[in-house]
Amino acid sequence: MATLRRRFAEPLTLWFALLIGLIGIGSIGGLRTLLHGLQVTGLNDRVPWGLWITHDLSAIALGAGAFIFSAAVYLFRIKRLEPMARPAVLVGFIGYTSAMLALLVDIGRPDRFWHPLVYWNVHSVLWEVTLCVVLYSAVLAMEVLPVVIENRFFDRWPDLRKAGHQLHRATPILAVVGMGLSLLHQSSLGATYGVLSGRAIWFKPSLPVMFILSAVAGGVGLTLWLTIITGKLRHVRLIPHEVQLEVSRFVGYLTLAYLYIKLWDWAATSYYSHAPGTADALSRLQATTPYTLTFWWWEIVLGLIVPAVILLYRPLRRNDRALIAGLGLLVFGVIVNRWNTTLSGLIAPPDWSPGVLGGVVTAAYSPSWVEVAVTAGIIGYAWLAFTLAVRYLRIYENPSPERG
Amino acid sequence: MAKKRSSSPPILSRRDVLKIAGTTGTAVVFTELVTSGPLSSEAVRGIGAQTHPSNQAGEPHQWRMLIDLAKCIGCNYCVWACQAVNDVPDETMRWNVGFPDRTENGIDFYMTRPCMHCQEAPCVKVCPVGATWVREDGLVAMDYDRCIGCRYCEVACPYDARRFNWRTPESENALEPTWGEAEVERRPRGVVEKCTFCVHRIDRGLDQGLTPGVDREATPACVVACPVGARVFGDALDPESPVAKEIAEHTSFRLREDFGTEPKVHYVQPERKDA
Repeated sequence: MATLRRRFAEPLTLWFALLIGLIGIGSIGGLRTLLHGLQVTGLNDRVPWGLWITHDLSAIALGAGAFIFSAAVYLFRIKRLEPMARPAVLVGFIGYTSAMLALLVDIGRPDRFWHPLVYWNVHSVLWEVTLCVVLYSAVLAMEVLPVVIENRFFDRWPDLRKAGHQLHRATPILAVVGMGLSLLHQSSLGATYGVLSGRAIWFKPSLPVMFILSAVAGGVGLTLWLTIITGKLRHVRLIPHEVQLEVSRFVGYLTLAYLYIKLWDWAATSYYSHAPGTADALSRLQATTPYTLTFWWWEIVLGLIVPAVILLYRPLRRNDRALIAGLGLLVFGVIVNRWNTTLSGLIAPPDWSPGVLGGVVTAAYSPSWVEVAVTAGIIGYAWLAFTLAVRYLRIYENPSPERG
Repeated sequence: MAKKRSSSPPILSRRDVLKIAGTTGTAVVFTELVTSGPLSSEAVRGIGAQTHPSNQAGEPHQWRMLIDLAKCIGCNYCVWACQAVNDVPDETMRWNVGFPDRTENGIDFYMTRPCMHCQEAPCVKVCPVGATWVREDGLVAMDYDRCIGCRYCEVACPYDARRFNWRTPESENALEPTWGEAEVERRPRGVVEKCTFCVHRIDRGLDQGLTPGVDREATPACVVACPVGARVFGDALDPESPVAKEIAEHTSFRLREDFGTEPKVHYVQPERKDA
């Protein structure tokens, strides 16, 4: 243990310094936003959603591993997946808290953040999403709390420890509730765009399905990716190798299913047809933005096809380095997808003028430094929380020595 | 029976199934409660919902506007009058926008666009806090005190009719008093706003026994400001109202009816034969 600590002392200090630096920069950005309002962003009335919404959508999607492993372990009692449950819940909790931080700066009136809880509009998918995210964050907090209370620090309060144990006994119920809430809002986040009849490029029933599939693939993928990397840094295997391979294969098949729906989504609206609105929007996107690069190359090839091959081709899956690259690319692909989805419908809005000159306005957006700073700060928080949790809590319960 | 069970535990035990069923049941009851029960958005919609569904005679109204693109001369008076009366100092925040345009047949015209006040308004459906709603008289109203500034309504509106207060509006309104006096309070930073069809004029006018669309004080500022009568306003349910007469007389269209939004602003083609 002592040698381990010495070996990591320096890089770890640097790592903490970097993260605290990011959080500092993010705090400055956040403070500027609260003081001066959203004029400090690169957003405008044509593109009112940008980097922060992408951050928010990505963080929630990548937190989806929590409900999958909670359900698998505490509800369906798949014993061998148990080592994945705690890290998944941790990643989920960090993801959802990051998303809520991003949302808090992104709304025009942060002082009214509680309004959706009191003033209900059940016809709004965003209301449903908000309520689910708030409730599910509470579920995640209740799932994380017992793990925190296990820490030596809480030895002095035996009552608290007892409460933690009681809470832990509720995990099967929390797993059911969490699964229900997650299945709802992970897909409704896609519906947030999918129900807007005025924006042809979004208006399709495939969006909620694609959102939940990519969320589960990306969320499970991120949990495994972090687990393998943490293990590499500690020179141990944090989860049995068979579990690592099984989960990788599961993510691989999910990626394939997601690719299949994406293929037909594109084929039905673009290749085999010339869907009005969609075709026009795509051609405008291709003319004014690097959409071909970000969609075909980043999202489809790098973000989905390459990971699918790595995760499903056995020799590559068995190679830790390839697996790290594959899962990392998959996570990257999910984030790029959330960016592409959000921006595509805003950059190329529908034309509504009966003329041909003024109706079609192609918008543009690039994030301001404040937006980048806040996003970096929240990412800093996420890494700091993960690093501290893995270091001081029993997230991985039975590490085994690394095999060749 | 029990002995016949295989040694491996079932993937989903009876207890789990019961739990799931219970949760589903609770969810159904919950949904029922919030969609039609005491917690429904209609029931909890408190402040800001002062509607004027009927006039003194108790008759319902259905406010509509008609914009005759063949009559419009592109003077921009409607745009400026709106900015003055509704206190919109910033050009980029205009509720009522105007720009030169050209039809596919090469005929130049001036396009102006207020809020469409859609009956099936996408902005109303998506608002997570119910800060915007369709009144009984068809107007799409806004509650600035409830809005959280998430801008989903802006994203949902296909007509680009909504504007967000990116900054605190501080500048003097240069359009005052030349184009009118501010009749409503300026909105704070962080909330969304849009054309109201000068709802304050309509509601106050009705209280005073005036007829919106006929009496100037009860008619939207843009309609009053138009020097050529290209904008007509009134109650579509009253066949004698100016707007009902114009709609009956001309072939009109509404913007992007294919979206299914049921807008309440009618346009007359710029290349009309009887003009």
